[in-house]
Amino acid sequence: MGLILGLFATVVGARWLDRHKVIEIHARMPENGGWTPADLSVKVGQPLRLRLVSDDVTHGFAVGQTAWEALDLYPGKPVETTLIFDRPGKYVFYCTRWCGINHWRMRGVIEVYGDASTMQNSDTTTPESPLYRRLAIDLDAPHDAFVIPESQPIARKNIALNVRLPAKYLLRDYYLATAPSSAWQSLREEPSLASLSDQQIWHLVASLWRRQTSQNELKEGEKLYRTNCAACHGETGAGDGVMARWLAASAATEAPDAEHSQPSNQHTPGETVIIGHSTVVPTDFTNPHTMLGASPALLQGKIIRGGMGTGMPYWGPIFTEEQTWALVAYLWTFQFDYSQVETNE
Amino acid sequence: MQQLKLMRIELTRYSIIRSLMLSRWPQFILTSLALTGFLLAILTGWFGTPVGSRNFSIIFVWIAWWAILMLIAVPFFGRGWCSICPIPAPGEWLQRGALLQPNGKGGLSLGKRWPNKFRNIWLQNGAFLLVALFSIIVLTQPRFTAVVLTAFLSIAVATSLIFERRAFCRYLCPVGGFIGLYSQLAPIELRVKDAAICASHKTKDCYNGNLRGYGCPWQVFPGGLTKNTHCGLCMECLRTCTEDNILVQTRPFAQDLILPGGRRLDEAYKAFIMLGSALVYMSVLLGPWGSLKSAAYQIGSAPWFAYVAAFLVFVLAVVPGLFSVAVLIGRRLAGLRYNARRSVINFAYALIPLGLAAWIAFSLSFVFANLTYLAPALSDPFGWGWDLIGAAGVGWSPLFTETVPLMQIAILTIGLFGSISIVRRIAAEGVSKTAALYQSIPISLFCVGATILILTLLIA
Amino acid sequence: MYSTQIPVKIVRSWPWIAIIASILVIAFTPLPLKASQPVARTVRVEARSFEFSPSVIHVEQGQQVTIELIATDVVHGIYVDGYGHEIIANPGQTATLTFIADKSGSFRLRCSVTCGALHPFMIGKLNVGVNLLFYRAIGLSVLAGLAGFMLFRPRNEQ
Ligand code: SF4
Ligand code: SF4
Ligand SMILES: [Cu+2]
Repeated sequence: MGLILGLFATVVGARWLDRHKVIEIHARMPENGGWTPADLSVKVGQPLRLRLVSDDVTHGFAVGQTAWEALDLYPGKPVETTLIFDRPGKYVFYCTRWCGINHWRMRGVIEVYGDASTMQNSDTTTPESPLYRRLAIDLDAPHDAFVIPESQPIARKNIALNVRLPAKYLLRDYYLATAPSSAWQSLREEPSLASLSDQQIWHLVASLWRRQTSQNELKEGEKLYRTNCAACHGETGAGDGVMARWLAASAATEAPDAEHSQPSNQHTPGETVIIGHSTVVPTDFTNPHTMLGASPALLQGKIIRGGMGTGMPYWGPIFTEEQTWALVAYLWTFQFDYSQVETNE
Repeated sequence: MQQLKLMRIELTRYSIIRSLMLSRWPQFILTSLALTGFLLAILTGWFGTPVGSRNFSIIFVWIAWWAILMLIAVPFFGRGWCSICPIPAPGEWLQRGALLQPNGKGGLSLGKRWPNKFRNIWLQNGAFLLVALFSIIVLTQPRFTAVVLTAFLSIAVATSLIFERRAFCRYLCPVGGFIGLYSQLAPIELRVKDAAICASHKTKDCYNGNLRGYGCPWQVFPGGLTKNTHCGLCMECLRTCTEDNILVQTRPFAQDLILPGGRRLDEAYKAFIMLGSALVYMSVLLGPWGSLKSAAYQIGSAPWFAYVAAFLVFVLAVVPGLFSVAVLIGRRLAGLRYNARRSVINFAYALIPLGLAAWIAFSLSFVFANLTYLAPALSDPFGWGWDLIGAAGVGWSPLFTETVPLMQIAILTIGLFGSISIVRRIAAEGVSKTAALYQSIPISLFCVGATILILTLLIA
Repeated sequence: MYSTQIPVKIVRSWPWIAIIASILVIAFTPLPLKASQPVARTVRVEARSFEFSPSVIHVEQGQQVTIELIATDVVHGIYVDGYGHEIIANPGQTATLTFIADKSGSFRLRCSVTCGALHPFMIGKLNVGVNLLFYRAIGLSVLAGLAGFMLFRPRNEQ
């Protein structure tokens, strides 16, 4: 018995010493604490050694705005990793595998501080503010399309060659700042396109939108959508994902009743699960009325800023600029049929 | 006794077996190994990962130990486990002031007598139900397994220090309660060779102890032993008996159940509780009903209280009630007039084979489904990322999923056969052939019904 | 008063022969099942801690079965006993498993991804065709009960 206790003391001692080098982070469902600890700090260029372990269900670990591969954290199976940051700043680490309605709240911060020289560097490299701010788009204003197509617009390759199109429609900046219904309106007013039917103009809009992306970007967008968005917005984009029921439920009742406040059996009884006070049903991307009235910049803005209490997470600290644009490009596939382009691209 | 020569082999006649039983070392070594396992389970339970399937405590206690206990130890060796059980060991060592041989000095215990009022297994019945109500959490959460093991160990030590002998095992331990009940089935027994020698033996060394061994720790007088229930197979009397009057022998299964005397209400209730809780466990743990699982899991919530109420009513009232109805119908059919309460108690002993079969069948279900967790639990007992035997990465895959139902059917068939045989034997006690026949029919049908219910829960 | 040995003469008597014969018949008769037309069948199964819904699925023997597993809270999986198939689903990413249900009987569906404390008991059922094993089991146990009933009947001999 003494032997066992002695052995145990050594083991615990060794672990305690080890802790000084390795930071152990426990992952739990957000209702039960999320990441512990959730605040880390490290110097630029210094290795941050982490031992990550899940205490309940499958989680994942990734650091926002970086290229590091996400690590899967299976319950009770510790994973070790070492991170070295080469730029100072506040990095957000987050859970990458859905672990309940509050999954997206499972985030932590790594404060990377530099010495004097790198500090100065960082000041000069402040990222520019997102496009929606520069364009002064009000993300919360209604953005209904004033016109919608009869049927799903189909993008065709080389469509611009068949019609004489003013060059401005092909510009990236035009696409970013324009809602499809506005684009349709402008194109309709173009005298050179007078011979086209309304629906053909819609096909033209779809083709222009398709020109602004690539097969690869769409793939990337689809991947991001499936892992991060589909649980709420639905695999078909219809806003009917598996988590939508909780958002709808809490939207319907201001003070969620006992059943609604307990979306899982995981937490200890008596605890309340915060879903959000004014959550709304997730946006239906297949609805042309709202989608065709939104510009890519507006959609990107919503992704970056989040829904401010509606249950929509803010992805700003997580996704890179490219990732947000890939996601926006993918969202248009719920409105436009890109399949004809893809087959012969 | 002469008529029961079938399958009887006197083990103590073989000098190797006899000396293994007389020596204290085999028991001491096995107890120490088991104690090491349990202490490690307590440590991993308290300090290791809260994920049950990756924590040694859950896997060791509820997969490894439970499988050995229910599939091997209890059915074949009865209280054999009690002879190497680590739970009472530290307390017993303190109580004796010795690890092995008596040293004549005596130990630490106050040596009080256990109060007469509690000289029955009602406390064990209560303790079993108490653990059973929280079992879903205890079974799945390392911390709670650690709480239970720590509580067992400390209560056992405290009991040894206050009371004489193994009062914890005999009157408190919830596991000991059902091992005792089912040990009556075991094909092995320790008895005296000739009761007459005991009757005339003045010093009764087996009960009082001498320098070769301790007085019976289980408060049993071997000279009066007729059933396995309370004999812990500790072999002390084999060591102390000055007349070489103790033997250990094999025997046919279930011999203790057909002895007409000594049947008690507390043990009858143990039989009901065990059969009833096996049914509840099969429904809650192995059934497809998620709301039942959450109710049992969310301790303190309203559904949990409903579950507790339903559990207790089912086990303490519904099962005994239906069984009593069967007994009373039989009594009416047979035109018998003897004490109804007595006959319910007597016939309850017939549920023992079926009850054990149900527990074995239940255990087969989850032991083999989760046996592969054993490898990583041994390799990384705390879930801290160790890899002691290189098996930390072994994944989960259920074993023998097609053979387990066959084993369950076989064991339940045997259990039902056993139970109905015992019904017939008990029914024949002191009544006419025809009366016995009528008395047996409804009770046998009850057993058939219970078996079909179990089969439905397990393989339908 | 009664005998615990199994005297040879009892075994010889006809009820025993009947019981043993019935045991063999019940245990081993191959019952030819009608080969049903394999019509494809898709079942949508939602998984949440700690249950599947529907928790019991009935399909025909020989049918091509597609299970669409939808995880509604955390990552879950399905392992099909007897068939050995496994799929894992993340919330928002439906996983599908297609197989031919060629073995009849009742098979447990077990969650295969640790999803919380009660995970080992997250269990559903796949019932394929007629569960012959269950009926055989009932037959066998009833016969065993009958055997016990007869074998230990009180005897008048001294
Ligand atoms: S010491 Fe031996 S002979 Fe004496 S009473 Fe005990 S068992 Fe019987
Ligand atoms: S009767 Fe003998 S073997 Fe049984 S508990 Fe007592 S001393 Fe031990
Ligand atoms: Cu699960």
